[in-house]
Amino acid sequence: MKSNRKIRKPISNKTKTLLLMLLPALLLFVLFNTIPLITGAFYSFTNYRGYGSYDFVGFRNFSDLFRDIRVGKSYLFTFKYAIAGTILVNVISLLLAMGLNSKIKFKSTLRGMYFLPNILGGLVVGYIFSFIFTYIIPTAAKALNIDFLSNSILASERWAWVGVLIVGVWQTVAMNTIIYISGLQTIPADIYEASAIDGAGKWCTFKKLTLPLLLPFISTNLILSTKNMLMVFDQIISLTKGGPAQSTESISYLIYRNGMEGGQFGFQSANAVVFFILIVTISVVQLVITSKKEEQL
Amino acid sequence: MKKSRITALAISILTASSALLSTGCSINNSLEGKTVVKMLQYKPEAVAAFEEIEKRFNDTHDDIVLQISSPNEAMIVLKTRLIKEDYPDIVGIGGDIDYSNFLDAGLFMDLSDFEGTEDIKPSYMQIEKDLEFIPQDGIYALPYAANCAGILYNKDMFEENGWEIPETWTEFIALCERIKSSGRQPLYFGFKDIWTTLAPWNALAVGLADADICSQVNAGNTTFTEGYAEVADKIKLLLDYAEPNPYAYSYNDACTAFARGESAMFVIGSYAVPQILSVEPDMNIDSFTFPANENESDNVLNSGIDLQFSVMKECENKEAAYEVLKFLYEDETIQIYLDNQNAVPCKKGDFKLPSMLDGMKPYIEADRMSDFHDHYYPREMCAEALIQTYLMDKNENSAEVFLNRFDKEWARYNRDLIEKVKKYEEGLK
Repeated sequence: MKSNRKIRKPISNKTKTLLLMLLPALLLFVLFNTIPLITGAFYSFTNYRGYGSYDFVGFRNFSDLFRDIRVGKSYLFTFKYAIAGTILVNVISLLLAMGLNSKIKFKSTLRGMYFLPNILGGLVVGYIFSFIFTYIIPTAAKALNIDFLSNSILASERWAWVGVLIVGVWQTVAMNTIIYISGLQTIPADIYEASAIDGAGKWCTFKKLTLPLLLPFISTNLILSTKNMLMVFDQIISLTKGGPAQSTESISYLIYRNGMEGGQFGFQSANAVVFFILIVTISVVQLVITSKKEEQL
Repeated sequence: MKKSRITALAISILTASSALLSTGCSINNSLEGKTVVKMLQYKPEAVAAFEEIEKRFNDTHDDIVLQISSPNEAMIVLKTRLIKEDYPDIVGIGGDIDYSNFLDAGLFMDLSDFEGTEDIKPSYMQIEKDLEFIPQDGIYALPYAANCAGILYNKDMFEENGWEIPETWTEFIALCERIKSSGRQPLYFGFKDIWTTLAPWNALAVGLADADICSQVNAGNTTFTEGYAEVADKIKLLLDYAEPNPYAYSYNDACTAFARGESAMFVIGSYAVPQILSVEPDMNIDSFTFPANENESDNVLNSGIDLQFSVMKECENKEAAYEVLKFLYEDETIQIYLDNQNAVPCKKGDFKLPSMLDGMKPYIEADRMSDFHDHYYPREMCAEALIQTYLMDKNENSAEVFLNRFDKEWARYNRDLIEKVKKYEEGLK
């Protein structure tokens, strides 16, 4: 056999130390992540309510999942939200990062201010915005005779998701801006000088130099913000609680509500398994696409 | 140098954890020889009453220690604890579908041999029976306090304007028109919190639909399209008399608005009174039964069990748990709870009812009451969201769409239950 012929290298001390350093993290990860995941997958094949006895129901939960209108609507909402959110977050944070990376006054103070939303808790921000949407904006709109804003947008079946999106984007932009700023700082100044000598315009410099060199950061940010947006939860709880007319129920919200409060532990476990597979697939696809295009100096 | 730092850190962690351990021990020491009864009750708003009850119990009992917890979102906390198999001894929950499910899962102990059961009003014991999916032998829950829902009104405002309490649906609509034409707003809704849609829904449903409609539908004898048609029509008419766009305002907003006199009436239950009084402590609130019918004699007060106690099967010390129950059902203890929560007692006897329920008293005394319909709806179906969707739907055929959906979703979410009941009934034959 092949492996027998190979001479086993003794594990060096350095590798030992490294493995030892990894061990606690691995243990914690298995304990709090892998084991719950497997338990959840197990319950997805039962009609477990969360307590009492249960029966195995085979793939019934999964086949129900694809026929359930409410679940379908929650997937539609979540993806609509995630796609719009990811695009907005990345465009806005890239613009902000370029602004905050240029030579301006009070640069550090401004950077600190723009990072503030990330420090505040999701629920706190949600409740503050809920007040703004319900009382402040409609009052202001009435005074200025703007018709479509004179009712709280959180009460509109069509536009409530935009309200949630505004808050979600406002909070996520902070972290992504910081990542983009650090990315912009890795690009050496001399290549900009070179491009200026070659007579490249601002837009050309951005397209041909900044963007390709920033690509590793863009891919990190895309994956981070997509994942964050897909898991939207705090904002829903504090702004709409899934309403009005169930128009802003995200997948995580539905899993929590019906899995914990309603007696659908088994069914929502199936939902969580499907959601998990989807997120992994999306992340891998994003990683493969962007890593192909990355360039190194 | 480095090593000594690490040792110092390790030692400090060790001492800290041992300190924690030793405090844990000291708690155990003070409890030595005593039986601990752990109780979880689901009404965080009643925490003050239960702290008082806990204190009084522990002061008068040397051998039993009662520990009551009243967490927020208690049902989620309780269900999470059940998933972890970490059971309290006694639970205080509502008489609703959660109880039915817990009972069905076999979590509770039979309380037939508890002496206090005969003192409880039979109508509430009957509601308890109705909540059982499959009829059980024995008693698994003791009703403690009930709440009543209908209409709360601003008594001073009514007296100033000479408005009279309506007894029929026509009179009610006429009153709303009159209030509206006087420049005031008759009703205020907080439909952003979808559960509040259930308040007018239940109040109408008890008057207009059969009390056992849910089990009738499960048995295949009728449909909601048939049974709830009038309820659906009438609830939509109420929107004309409320603030525009009620879906923008929450339950808190509605309570505050009613307290500040922005509306003359509020379709909600007696449970809202403490919240309203926290805004306007001197407000003069009274209530009346929702006049859903054209005939006063057909009207029924919407009243259900707000708090009931069950002992978990896993409870190791039944006698101590019974001792706690006995204490809870002493008249004095009940009065503490009633005064704090404006509730109606489920025990027979002469209790002081809160003045906000004056208008409902004749119904309570004549036992003309019926349980909240949503106590039979599965939570995961989220009927309140269906109702909200219907109220927001401006299309002509909205009632038809809504009731069809209600029937369809009902069948889907109750699939396992309908099958179970069928099997049981076949077994009887």
